[in-house]
Amino acid sequence: MELEQFSGINYKGSKRFTQWDIPTANATGFGAAADDYMERGIDLNEQLVRNKPATFFMRVTGDAMTGAGIFNGDVVIVDRSVKAVNGKVIIATLNGEMLIRRFEKNFNKIRLVPETPKLSPIDIDLSGSEFSIWGVVTYVIHSL
Amino acid sequence: MKAIVDCNSFYCSCERLFRPDLWNKPVVVLSNNDGCIISRSDEARQLGVGMAIPYFQARHIIEKNDIAVFSSNYHLYGDMSRRVMDTLRILAGETAEDDEAPARVEVYSVDEAFMDLSAIPTGDLTSYAKHIKDTVEQWTGISVSIGVAPTKTLAKLANIMAKKNKKESGCVKVLATEEEQRLALQQTRVDNLWGVGRSYAAKLINWGITSGWELRNMPEEWAHTNMGGVVGVRLIRELRGIPAIVMEEELVNKKMIATTRMFGRPVTALHELKEAVATYISRAAEKLRRQESAAKVVSVFIVSKEQDHLADFKRGGTISNYTTLPKSTSLTHELIKSAVELVEQLYENGKEYKKAGVMLSGLVPDDSIQGNLFVPAAENQHRFLMNTIDNINFSMRDDSVKFGSSGMNKNWKMRQELRSDRYSSRWEDLKGVR
Repeated sequence: MELEQFSGINYKGSKRFTQWDIPTANATGFGAAADDYMERGIDLNEQLVRNKPATFFMRVTGDAMTGAGIFNGDVVIVDRSVKAVNGKVIIATLNGEMLIRRFEKNFNKIRLVPETPKLSPIDIDLSGSEFSIWGVVTYVIHSL
Repeated sequence: MKAIVDCNSFYCSCERLFRPDLWNKPVVVLSNNDGCIISRSDEARQLGVGMAIPYFQARHIIEKNDIAVFSSNYHLYGDMSRRVMDTLRILAGETAEDDEAPARVEVYSVDEAFMDLSAIPTGDLTSYAKHIKDTVEQWTGISVSIGVAPTKTLAKLANIMAKKNKKESGCVKVLATEEEQRLALQQTRVDNLWGVGRSYAAKLINWGITSGWELRNMPEEWAHTNMGGVVGVRLIRELRGIPAIVMEEELVNKKMIATTRMFGRPVTALHELKEAVATYISRAAEKLRRQESAAKVVSVFIVSKEQDHLADFKRGGTISNYTTLPKSTSLTHELIKSAVELVEQLYENGKEYKKAGVMLSGLVPDDSIQGNLFVPAAENQHRFLMNTIDNINFSMRDDSVKFGSSGMNKNWKMRQELRSDRYSSRWEDLKGVR
């Protein structure tokens, strides 16, 4: 979805290898032909961790975001270096608690919107509550 | 120009990052064994909690003001430290692929790093330092103070000034011009200068040199005769804005490796003492192999508790001994064997011990890493065994595989009653979000 914004020269994840790190096939003679096509394989960190020092993992407890495909017990990947804009799923701190919600910001109004009929949106009163954005959720790891 | 980036109340900041309920609240972190206060938030400082004082002495203030107390959680601090340092490296343009690039970030301690800012125009230093501060804070959640000056010593001074009045300075202080440096040095007592130890400070004040500015104006020859030769000259130059302490190349291999800990409770039995020493050796040997060295000398020391109650604050008797090995080694079991023999020699029945430590020295490059034609094949096998143990312990954590001599119960282990979770480095400890 928003890979473009991550990829390119700004990548600061854990992808770090040279041709020498790729083990070649332990073969001689004709078998060695496959050597030309050896790859390092897929490393999930490359895809899921775009900026390593700013990336944290958290465990979801509750059903606040089931509508967004985030369920109780899932692991979410949180990137503190991504800017929270309207519509992102974020980790917010509100009056000493950490919440996962969709971030809605228009004009001068901020709302934390759950994706379950069981909970109602929270209007943030910036003068009366301790609110901050802890980080932006970039991926969810869900076990099937 | 050089900058020093110093994390604000680092351990407390780490603890608070995952506890928004503690933001703007007083927090303290205790040393190993919950002995002393080693980190306090600004709020705790303002309540009058002293630095490095024993926990029990501060207990009444802590309980009265409901201050949050944590045992030290070095896994968390280590991980957060790595994040801060990595962020600085990315900002400095030190990329992982470019090993040849000169290091522009020098990690000075777990919560401080020097940065080389020679590429930044003088007029942009303040805004660049602010940019570093904001980025570190945004990415890692750790707030930092930054001092910028032509030399490391003056940068340290700038940092102290930045920290003194955070609101006004915005946690950034630049001493770029001579005029700024003069004002700063005039306001600073010599004992607050980086590199001036307590005994030199006392001497200087005795001689009538009380401010940093007075010291800066002493001739170099004087410093050479009165302040320990080259070291003194370097200090004077640094104060004058002439770099004399260079950026260190990073991660020089250590010349010795030590592991030492206080016990959670006094230890009297020989077998417990042996277990402790074997555990420390395992740790030290792991570090030894990580830097691909082998050790020739194994030293062990044990510290007994004073019997005399009046001598409570005196240092207990330390006794130590060492063995020179026939051949340098990085194999845990060989090192444990000699260390345990040393413990047997040092141990006295009936004494209570409060601390033990081991040291590996006489380090040489480990030639057993490449299979060696001239040693029996069995020794090469041992190296594989060590590699396997290290790999398992690295991936599974907490010494999943260890030698039997390290013991299974570890009754002597450090007290950490108030330790928080390892939020940033363990699957089972991840922070929950609702």
